[in-house]
Amino acid sequence: MDVTGLRVLVADDEDDIRALVALAVRKAGCTVVDSVADGSAALDLLRVELPDLAVLDVSMPGATGLEVCAALRADPATAGIRILLLSAGASLDDVAAGLAAGADAYLAKPFSISGLVHQVHALTARQPA
Amino acid sequence: MTTVQASTAVLGHPAPRRLGRFFSGGVALDRSLPSTLLFGVTALLLATGTLPVMDGELVLAGLTAAFVASLVSRLAGRASLTGDVGVVVPLVQLGAAGLLSAGTATPAVLVLALAPALTLVAGPGRRGVLLAALGTAAVLLLPDLLGSGSSPAEALFLAPLAVGLGGLGVNETTRRIGSQATRIERLEAERDQLLAQVQSRADELDLATRMLAARAQTMTSVIDAVTEQSIIGTDVDGIIRVWNPGAEKMLGLPRPDVVRRRSILEFHLPEELEAAGDDAEATPGLAALVRAAQEQGSDVRDWTYVAADGQQRTVAVAITPRTDDEGRHAGWNFVGTDMTEARATERMKDQFVSLISHELRTPLTSILGYLELVLDDDDQPLTDEQRSYLTTVERNADRLLRLVGDLLFTAQVDAGRFTLTPADVDLATVVRAAEESVRVTAANASVEVVVDVPSDGLVVPGDAVRLGQACDNLVSNAVKFTPAGGRVTLSLRSAWQTPDGEIVAEPCPDAAQVAQLAVSDTGIGIPTTEQGKMFSRFFRASTAQKNAVPGVGLGLAITKAITTAHGGTLDLLSAEGAGTTFTLTLPL
Repeated sequence: MDVTGLRVLVADDEDDIRALVALAVRKAGCTVVDSVADGSAALDLLRVELPDLAVLDVSMPGATGLEVCAALRADPATAGIRILLLSAGASLDDVAAGLAAGADAYLAKPFSISGLVHQVHALTARQPA
Repeated sequence: MTTVQASTAVLGHPAPRRLGRFFSGGVALDRSLPSTLLFGVTALLLATGTLPVMDGELVLAGLTAAFVASLVSRLAGRASLTGDVGVVVPLVQLGAAGLLSAGTATPAVLVLALAPALTLVAGPGRRGVLLAALGTAAVLLLPDLLGSGSSPAEALFLAPLAVGLGGLGVNETTRRIGSQATRIERLEAERDQLLAQVQSRADELDLATRMLAARAQTMTSVIDAVTEQSIIGTDVDGIIRVWNPGAEKMLGLPRPDVVRRRSILEFHLPEELEAAGDDAEATPGLAALVRAAQEQGSDVRDWTYVAADGQQRTVAVAITPRTDDEGRHAGWNFVGTDMTEARATERMKDQFVSLISHELRTPLTSILGYLELVLDDDDQPLTDEQRSYLTTVERNADRLLRLVGDLLFTAQVDAGRFTLTPADVDLATVVRAAEESVRVTAANASVEVVVDVPSDGLVVPGDAVRLGQACDNLVSNAVKFTPAGGRVTLSLRSAWQTPDGEIVAEPCPDAAQVAQLAVSDTGIGIPTTEQGKMFSRFFRASTAQKNAVPGVGLGLAITKAITTAHGGTLDLLSAEGAGTTFTLTLPL
């Protein structure tokens, strides 16, 4: 599967994890268009950059991943961006909330790099909604 | 009570009773007293010479007879003699009167015969009248017989006739008075009996009243002693009738301001009542508040009370219906415990656990992620030594992660927020997966793991992830506690459980089919005294500590919680030094 050149935006308030996710995304063969630590900044960039995939942490300052998710889905211009949510909350309620907010997939922390790469491949291979 | 006693005393005056005895016959001897006195006067008159003594012998005989009669009368009175003595005494006195009359030749002395004659006629029955008439005739005849004088023939005839006829009247009157006296006495006895009954009934009532008052006092004092819980009683319309100091303290209003003046609803949040009420109901009210208690007989749940100062309290309220002494529904009881602080603490604990869980997972994500990058970097391969060191780091990070997961899970079980995602789970697959996950560890420890599962699987309804966790815990424990050269056996089979809990291999009536997973080891075992505590959180067997087997004591508690949530049971059989078998039984 060739996903080379697909554009991905990473948003997580933890610097180490943001860098780790970016590394994994590059490892998957994608391009990281930007990585930010703030939810509202992420939303602004997403509206400008219109990447293929957004990897969003759930708990972020500015706006939570769930809020960013909902905002993207509400706007036809951004509704096609695929979304992968990351969260340290692993309960079913968290997963349900993430999917209800419009995410395409949900990954609980800690995740394995190979698992993340696999998810990125799976999501980017799918046709935009 | 006082009135009753007083009336008894008045009515029970003893005087009428003595009157009754006087007229009832039998003891007529008292009545000879006037005759005795008259004879005494006669003796005095003889002694002073006022009366002439014509015949000394007759006078002496008369006085002697009178004296004897008096003596007998006194003795008989003292000894309570009855019957014929009562007749003999007046007859002797009559004789004495006749002798004295003859001896003195004075007819006036015959007056002495009057008293004994009256005594005779007043006696019971007609016999006394006849005796009196005959006696009178004899007394009148006596002077003639003794030759000391004579009485006129008319007197001899008329006197006994008069005595007889008059005596009949007196006798009849005496009899009537006597029977009336008897009736009065009987009525008195009945009245006394009734009075005694009334008195004992009054005493019983008094006792019952005092007991009731004492019980009411006890209840009131108990209710008044409760200062940390609100006890509120209402009538059927929710109007408050009971308001204890606990309610005063919790809701800030004194009893007089509330009782009969306010409804329980005034202390509730309208929106809460609305949420609890029927959709059909126009106004939220008492029906919404007491619905569950009405349907189930009692109800305990959290309600928000609004105090007089507007402050809201979270209160666990137990609601029960109240009935009156005839069993009719009389109102509602509301016993409330202020849970505001407790609920806040619970929320804080929840927040703390999720915070800790989040805060620990985040650095672990970095550690495990970067480790994975380094270990899997094909461009910069590691030396074997480096790889070995980093694998140790990874293993310990994984262990830390599991611990965080276990702690979070335990907290969820505690908070009752532990939910299952039900699906069809093949236990054979779960068991094989558990064996796979311990395979390397077991091989390193030289422990053989034997898997005995049905080849066509065994499906139970349950949560695959949680059942996997439970199975992993049991299998990893077994490997962990088995010394080198030992063996761990995982055997899965379907069986039947009888209503009394016994597991049988063959189907039988009323038995439910179950799946049974036995995890047996030839390990260090668990001392008998500690087996009951094995499922308690953070408990570790002394054998585990002695053998320095790592762990925190959460695995079995979690396994037990998962089993219970699936409606199953977890049992253990162990002998120190010989091994342990954990048996997990799940309904099919």
